[in-house]
Amino acid sequence: MLDLAIASQILWTSFATSSYFVLFALAFALVLKVNKVFNFAQAAIMSVAFYCAYVAVRVLGLNGFFGLIACFAGGIATAIAIEYFGFAKLRTRKASPMFVFIFTLIVSQFVSYVLMLIFGTWPTTIFPTMFWPVSLVGGIAISAWDLPALAAMATVLVLLWAFLRFTRWGQFMIAVADNADLAELYGIKKDRVMLVSMAIAGAICAVGMFLYGTRAQVQPSAATELMLFAVAATIIGGIGNLWGAALAAVVLGLVQNSSILFIPSAWQGFMLYAFLFLAIVLFPRGFHWPERASKLKRKTVTTLPASPSEANGG
Amino acid sequence: MTDWTLSRRTGLKAAVAFGALMLASGGVSAQQPTLKFGLAMPLTGGQALYGNDQVKAAQWAVDEINKKGGINGKKLEMVLLDTQADPQVGIQAVNRLVSVEKVPVFVTAWSGVVKAVAPIANDNKVVELSVGAASPDIAKLGDYVYTTFPLADVDIKAVANYSVKDMGKKRAAVLFINNETGIPAAAVYRDTVAKAGGQIVASESYDQKATDFTGPLLKIRAANPEIVHLQGLVSESPQVIAQARQLGINVPITSYSGIYNPKLIEQLGAAAEGVIATSLAPGVGDLPAVKEYVDRWQKEVGRAPNGLPYTQYLYDAPVMIAAVFSSMDKKGLPMTGENFRKEMLALKTFDLPLTGKLQMSEDHTVNKPVYLVEVKNGKWTTKAIVGQ
Repeated sequence: MLDLAIASQILWTSFATSSYFVLFALAFALVLKVNKVFNFAQAAIMSVAFYCAYVAVRVLGLNGFFGLIACFAGGIATAIAIEYFGFAKLRTRKASPMFVFIFTLIVSQFVSYVLMLIFGTWPTTIFPTMFWPVSLVGGIAISAWDLPALAAMATVLVLLWAFLRFTRWGQFMIAVADNADLAELYGIKKDRVMLVSMAIAGAICAVGMFLYGTRAQVQPSAATELMLFAVAATIIGGIGNLWGAALAAVVLGLVQNSSILFIPSAWQGFMLYAFLFLAIVLFPRGFHWPERASKLKRKTVTTLPASPSEANGG
Repeated sequence: MTDWTLSRRTGLKAAVAFGALMLASGGVSAQQPTLKFGLAMPLTGGQALYGNDQVKAAQWAVDEINKKGGINGKKLEMVLLDTQADPQVGIQAVNRLVSVEKVPVFVTAWSGVVKAVAPIANDNKVVELSVGAASPDIAKLGDYVYTTFPLADVDIKAVANYSVKDMGKKRAAVLFINNETGIPAAAVYRDTVAKAGGQIVASESYDQKATDFTGPLLKIRAANPEIVHLQGLVSESPQVIAQARQLGINVPITSYSGIYNPKLIEQLGAAAEGVIATSLAPGVGDLPAVKEYVDRWQKEVGRAPNGLPYTQYLYDAPVMIAAVFSSMDKKGLPMTGENFRKEMLALKTFDLPLTGKLQMSEDHTVNKPVYLVEVKNGKWTTKAIVGQ
């Protein structure tokens, strides 16, 4: 069933909806790169960010701008709290990575239950309406949500890139990501850098949840399910590679949605798990892009032996 | 000695006064016989939002019965326990109702709890009334487990038949969530449409974790159906409908009771027009008593109840139990689960204030009319009543 109109529509919608997945993947990959944590507590950050926006807009009757501010406040505050009261303490106590991972799972579930007790299980959105009007462009339905969402995603990507590339804190983060102990020897306070990394991840999650919560319904357990996509994208995109994770999120969404052209719809959800399974089995240490490896290789200084006798140790 | 005499006299007076006081107040009511039933519902946890509203409805019914003189002069007493909608907690609650409170009948809901506590009801010969759970398995849980709520396939069959026979929509498509909510119901829909003389032109599903439905919806659009049936969950159904409309699927969309709530109209606006849902209880426009009931919620609680139809069934449950107790009491039968079951099946039909006539069947199911409601001019309006 390969119809050009259908294929074009699927590609466009997949691209537009990948906006929030890219952001979730980016936040997850950033914390993994800098803090070295598989942060499943990101679900808690996402949920709190959403419900802060919900309270601002739906309960207090504020406009969308204040909803976004509340979303940022909730996301960043939760991320900082998790780092300050959780990860930092666990680092001090030299907790094993597995223990930290379990801690993130517990935080995620704990926050989900607390939110469930406060807001119930009834799904909801940030704005009362979730229907966005559409315009037909060349037979493709483009909703009023699509372009602002893609613009928001692009803005976050550019800002993050610029932050890491041009700011002192960004360079500290790269240094800590490469070797935290060495960075500390050079006077970089790794705990502060990790706190900044978490705060940025919280802000990115807030943008993602604001986009998601204006298009689809959210309930306290929804973020946990959204996280799986971010994890898959991070593993497939290359652990430690932020832009690879972002690209993988787009490609995963496109492949998963386009698969309906070739396979029955019931198998669509299976695609994500198949990719995840293959990524873990084939790249247990994470996928590394060949370009990066060759770049590093070029920079490696090698000392060639001056003569065959030197090479033989004589 | 005088002091002692005075003291004794004072004591006697005090005793007489205390006795009189007891007679005049609580003493009599404490001795007045009560007829007890149990109610095990989620009062805490994620489902408490619904559970508490349903309990409130049941409590209103009990208060109403007692205000009108009770059951042959005896008070109806509701023993309330929390299940958290969790099978394990439900088992503890029902064990207490059966072993400590010695109730002959108890009401509970949520399929997981209903199934988990069924062996306790059967082993102890205590009647379990499931009020709100819709799993078809509930009809097969044993001799002492009955439902007052129609089970899952009743409304799907009704909406499928109505689409083909009354609306004349012969080319139907079905879109369903790939889980226990969607798969069996979609099968029932397909079979019913085929038997009614219609044709299923597309049958597509989506994953439980899906956040975009473009693919299956475009496949459905390509099949050019005259009507689309959606069997999803309350969490994603509004988004599916929104996307269907965005992609130009403007034919009527039917669904089931899961999407029947005012929020759908608020979320979708004009895109909700023409959406048809089912309700297993009469709405505000169908019965004056329902309107009074909803008005009471607005007045006393300041809002409509969460899950209105379910609260209607919970309101009616004590009314039905009171009718059986009354009959048992008049016949002088001991208040046991065995006698309750016999009497309930003997009475068989109950006229209930908020859900209409209830007919208990030997096969542990009930027959109730299905109300089809449609979004028209931004409001849910009754379109038809099927199976009356």
